[in-house]
Amino acid sequence: MTTTSENTTTPDLSWIDDITMTELERNPYKAYERLRAEAPLAYVPVLGSYVASTAEICREVATSPDFEAVITPAGGRTFGHPAIIGVNGDVHADLRGMVEPALQPVEVDRYVDDLVRPIARRYLEQFEDDGRAELVSQYCEPVSVRSLGDLLGLRDVESDTLRDWFAKLSRSFTNAAMTENGEFANPAGFDEGDQAKAEIQAAVDPLIDKWIVEPDDSAISRWLHDGMPPGRTRERSYIYPTIYVYLLGAMQEPGHGMASTLVGLFSEPDQMEQVVDDAQLIPRAISEGMRWTSPIWSATARISTGPVTVAGVDLPAGTPVILSYGAANHDTDVYEAPTRFDLHRPPLPHLAFGAGNHACAGIYYANHVMRIALEELFETIPVLERDTSARSEFWGWGFRGPTSLNVTWEV
Amino acid sequence: MGFTATVGGRAVACGEEQPILDAFLRAGVWMPNSCNQGTCGTCKLRVVSGEVDHHDSPADTLTDDERAAGLALACQARLCSDAVVESTAAAGGRTTHPLRDLVATVLDVEEIARETLRLRLDLPEPIAFDPGQYVELVVPGTGERRQYSLANTAGEDKVLELHIRLVPTGVATEGWIFGGLAAGDRVEITGPLGDFVLPTEDDGGPMVLIGGGTGLAPLLGLARTVLARDPQREVLLYHGVRGASDLYALDLLTELAGAHPRFRFVPVLSHEPPPDGREHRTGFPTDHFVDDVASARGWSGWLCGPPAMVEAGVKAFKRRRMAPRMIHREKFTPADAAS
Ligand SMILES: Cc1cc2nc3c(=O)[nH]c(=O)nc-3n(C[C@H](O)[C@H](O)[C@H](O)COP(=O)(O)OP(=O)(O)OC[C@H]3O[C@@H](n4cnc5c(N)ncnc54)[C@H](O)[C@@H]3O)c2cc1C
Ligand code: HEM
Ligand code: FES
Repeated sequence: MTTTSENTTTPDLSWIDDITMTELERNPYKAYERLRAEAPLAYVPVLGSYVASTAEICREVATSPDFEAVITPAGGRTFGHPAIIGVNGDVHADLRGMVEPALQPVEVDRYVDDLVRPIARRYLEQFEDDGRAELVSQYCEPVSVRSLGDLLGLRDVESDTLRDWFAKLSRSFTNAAMTENGEFANPAGFDEGDQAKAEIQAAVDPLIDKWIVEPDDSAISRWLHDGMPPGRTRERSYIYPTIYVYLLGAMQEPGHGMASTLVGLFSEPDQMEQVVDDAQLIPRAISEGMRWTSPIWSATARISTGPVTVAGVDLPAGTPVILSYGAANHDTDVYEAPTRFDLHRPPLPHLAFGAGNHACAGIYYANHVMRIALEELFETIPVLERDTSARSEFWGWGFRGPTSLNVTWEV
Repeated sequence: MGFTATVGGRAVACGEEQPILDAFLRAGVWMPNSCNQGTCGTCKLRVVSGEVDHHDSPADTLTDDERAAGLALACQARLCSDAVVESTAAAGGRTTHPLRDLVATVLDVEEIARETLRLRLDLPEPIAFDPGQYVELVVPGTGERRQYSLANTAGEDKVLELHIRLVPTGVATEGWIFGGLAAGDRVEITGPLGDFVLPTEDDGGPMVLIGGGTGLAPLLGLARTVLARDPQREVLLYHGVRGASDLYALDLLTELAGAHPRFRFVPVLSHEPPPDGREHRTGFPTDHFVDDVASARGWSGWLCGPPAMVEAGVKAFKRRRMAPRMIHREKFTPADAAS
């Protein structure tokens, strides 16, 4: 879709040149609504990349044999190589084979309740008699990071440290603005990510040293040893980029997901009441929460392996396309009134966990963490009221969720 | 062509090449799902009867053991016959007593309170039920059915006791039960029905029961059952009525209180002042509960009677932080409420 000299009705797409990062991070839905209508596969200069914004095109690109995975430039600058989200072929197969054992449904079923429920209870005990709480920082994020931290073997790393790391990595990963020359517009935006990585290595290196000689049941210990010949372990430089993938997305997103689901439910008090009264509805509420505000809104990409035409646009070999799953999940061709949280909408599949061979490896685990956390929350405090004197704002383009959620209840 | 999958009483037509999940979602039947490509395991279901083809279900997501145990991935599996399936999330439900149709004989009809009858039905053979359940009575010559809760404990399985309140112009009450139903009459019943029952794994924690009017009936079966199991259990029973002349079963309740130190019975009058010399509480039982119990954490709650009272009770219980899954409700919804 380019403007032509002939007098055709091709829409004027120059507005796309004016999209800014700040605007996208504050509220990406407006720009993306227009992209879906006018240019569902568009080159967006500020991102220095093509962007897919409809459900159909996101799914097509994510599953097409003409594309493979690529990490976004800011993502690559933050994680380094080989991060599981940006590699293909044997390396990808090896990294998937490394992370999957602990995330398989049979395995997750075995440990998830014993892992998450006591953690959720412990955090609830800290504030359940206070009559008020800010749930993002006091509950959603802590339950998410503590559960995964313990699973990975990072028991001695404080929850607040894990929260600080994912926030820094997240801002660095989505420091996506590019100049016209294809350079990072804000190079200083990576500093905090670098600082977090230095802290992570200082904390994790000694653990790796220990796990090399004394393997245990923790996930990272298994990453080092599983599938390796006796006496050999994977190089730490080989697994660190994927450790960062975990310490960002896998730590942050279940918290985002819980908080978004709660905000969505608060926007529909009848639905909140139904879900509180019938815990069987929690998985459905979470699924709708994931659709309504997708935690990984626009963070992964694919690259064409040869010349290919997508949605009428000819792309040469080596063209990256960012998958804006959060926009795809508001596609009006698929969902009626997509901006509304609706527990009872026709339960069509969504793209919040991605698609294709790079689809989220942690779906089953993440869904159960969120379910158990909400079960415990509603069980312990069944009369949550939203504190309307404090506004809850959503933030983020790459990763998105409420920055705070203040609630009160009678004590 | 295709087959039918039944889940939770709903039948869904599935095409031969159509994944079960796809058919369900298209029919608006919710089933947990995420990846729709067989990799996440979220859509696991249990095939209770019938045959499925697992299609592309990966061995990692659905192990051989799971297949052997009758599990399937809804997003992959296709039906090879009509089938009954259940979501694994909801699996492990309790067993239910078989539903029976019986013709009972009226043993006696007694007025036990203002506009309230106790109807005792003699059964041709005992039936199995859980205390708290109800039966349906067929109103002769009308084709209408009406539900009445059992005041019995499970051992009282030969003579059923119902408490019935007059509803002016009511087909079943004014037109039949209060209009001359007498000892020796035959009554067609269906039962047992309902899920207002003690959990299979009763944790023995404190219980509060609130009945409005004849909503007391199933609570008498429940309270007597738990006190027989554990005479020391903390049980708080409120009976909400308009005036003192609506109270009944007072002898039984006094006797229970005498024999069980931690059982308390609290009548509450909503509309008429207590008769001279009596000290009844006034107002609504759900409000009294909020005043009486500072924290209901770890309690279970049982609400039976008019829908508005049940709703008020749910709110009261939650205000006192009772876990929602511990709240049980039975609403006496009028038969024509939907229309
Ligand atoms: C699960 C269940 C258990 C029940 N258990 C009992 C029980 O143990 N004891 C008992 O007495 N009842 C019980 N009921 C209510 C009972 O089933 C009948 O609805 C009731 O007896 C009225 O029937 P009817 O045919 O006389 O009145 P209908 O002919 O159905 O109703 C006549 C009119 O009165 C209205 N009406 C009906 N009920 C009421 C009411 N309570 N208040 C105000 N208006 C009303 C109707 O809307 C209609 O307009 C139960 C109901 C349910 C759903
Ligand atoms: C609600 C929480 C989560 C959401 C919404 C989510 C979503 C996603 C998305 C959209 C992708 C990219 C998919 C694509 O490019 O098509 C992804 C990748 C990934 N996720 Fe998740 N995720 C969540 C939690 C987790 C957790 C808790 C873990 C691990 C414990 C995890 C592990 C992974 C991995 C390893 C990848 C990379 C897969 C690959 O590239 O092969 N995720 N996730
Ligand atoms: S939805 Fe993921 S395995 Fe079926």
